Amino acid sequence: MGVEGFEPRIVAFMCNWCTYAGADNAGVARLESPANILPIRVMCSGRISPEAVMRAFRAGADGVLVMGCHIGDCHYAAGNHRTIKRMPLLRNLLSYVGVNPERMELVWVSAAEAPRFVQVTKAFTQKIKELGPLSQEVTE
Amino acid sequence: MMSASTLDEIRKAVAERLNEPSKEGLRLDGVVALRKSSQGVAPHLFQKGDDLSELEIAPKYPLTTLVSKLHKRYPTIKLAIVARGCDERAYIEMAKRNQIDPDRLYIIGFACTAEDAQECYCPEPFPKNLVVGVAPAPGPANPLVAKYDAMPLAERREFWKQQFLKCLKCYGCRNICPECFCEACAMEDMAWVEPGLLAPPFPTFHLIRAMHMASRCVACRECEHACPAHIPLTVLYDLMRRDINDLLGYLPGADIQAKPPLSLSLEQSPLREAR
Repeated sequence: MGVEGFEPRIVAFMCNWCTYAGADNAGVARLESPANILPIRVMCSGRISPEAVMRAFRAGADGVLVMGCHIGDCHYAAGNHRTIKRMPLLRNLLSYVGVNPERMELVWVSAAEAPRFVQVTKAFTQKIKELGPLSQEVTE
Repeated sequence: MMSASTLDEIRKAVAERLNEPSKEGLRLDGVVALRKSSQGVAPHLFQKGDDLSELEIAPKYPLTTLVSKLHKRYPTIKLAIVARGCDERAYIEMAKRNQIDPDRLYIIGFACTAEDAQECYCPEPFPKNLVVGVAPAPGPANPLVAKYDAMPLAERREFWKQQFLKCLKCYGCRNICPECFCEACAMEDMAWVEPGLLAPPFPTFHLIRAMHMASRCVACRECEHACPAHIPLTVLYDLMRRDINDLLGYLPGADIQAKPPLSLSLEQSPLREAR
């Protein structure tokens, strides 16, 4: 149910050590990534609380990306271990009250993966475009 | 209904442990249980010499909260609690999180009736420390859980929208919950829940609690009993209980040795293989 001319707003939480550096490198290399992405830099993906993701949706995000270091590469050794446990639970929970879980995704992108950063954000933006605005699903 | 003999047996068990402290080497300072009051029943700390004919066991009430308060206020006090299966599960999750000192709490457990188990959809209507009564079969799973789980997204959304619209934001679900003891509550944090909205903001208010219940909810159903708007909260919490068991093999209230997995590394508590 895509909407004509719809440009989604996507909040992307990125960890300081991997994904944010990867996104930075994408810019330095002049790789084009979608302007729909609103980056929020956090020190670790383990710092991203479920409350923060919910607030992003509440503040008008049509999709939320949670991005961090690959497992084993965490700057704080096991910060992203919390993320990998927490986010699937939140994804399920959103689906239980009727929010399409596809609107939220957990992806690992390292500092050396600038092309992957572009590919992931492009694919996610395309997916959210096809899903349409969140307000279509959640109205008060 | 609980049979009169069950109640008599519990009173006797309490009297033995309270008035003859040499038995099993207990030396208890008191027993936390319900007591008859003009309004029905109320939580009470029974001490040596008290009239135990006033001790009651129904309706159920989360007594572990009172134990926690007493343990914190009196650092050497030794207590016993007259506990149902859910009280024991609540105690287990609280002890792991340093809310109750397991070395200073003795469980006088009794079995719920088959009717209670059915009404509460109780997965385990008896404590491991079963002193009085015979363990009944577990209650059935809440049929609403399977029903809403099978619904398409749009229908779920419609259902929960209607349910959450009824919310009075009284915080009754949180206040009664034996596992809700944070000093700073995310449901009162203006960063997550804007003040002044009624019904409270979706999806934050109710989903924050549901998310926090994932590794904690012991299925005591107190939140649902307390809710003046009759929101079927435990449907969500049952789904979270199922999910955390699927994901991490963790069942809240089952094992006092099992640490809460969400704050552990993958080495300490690995993900289960995808089923």
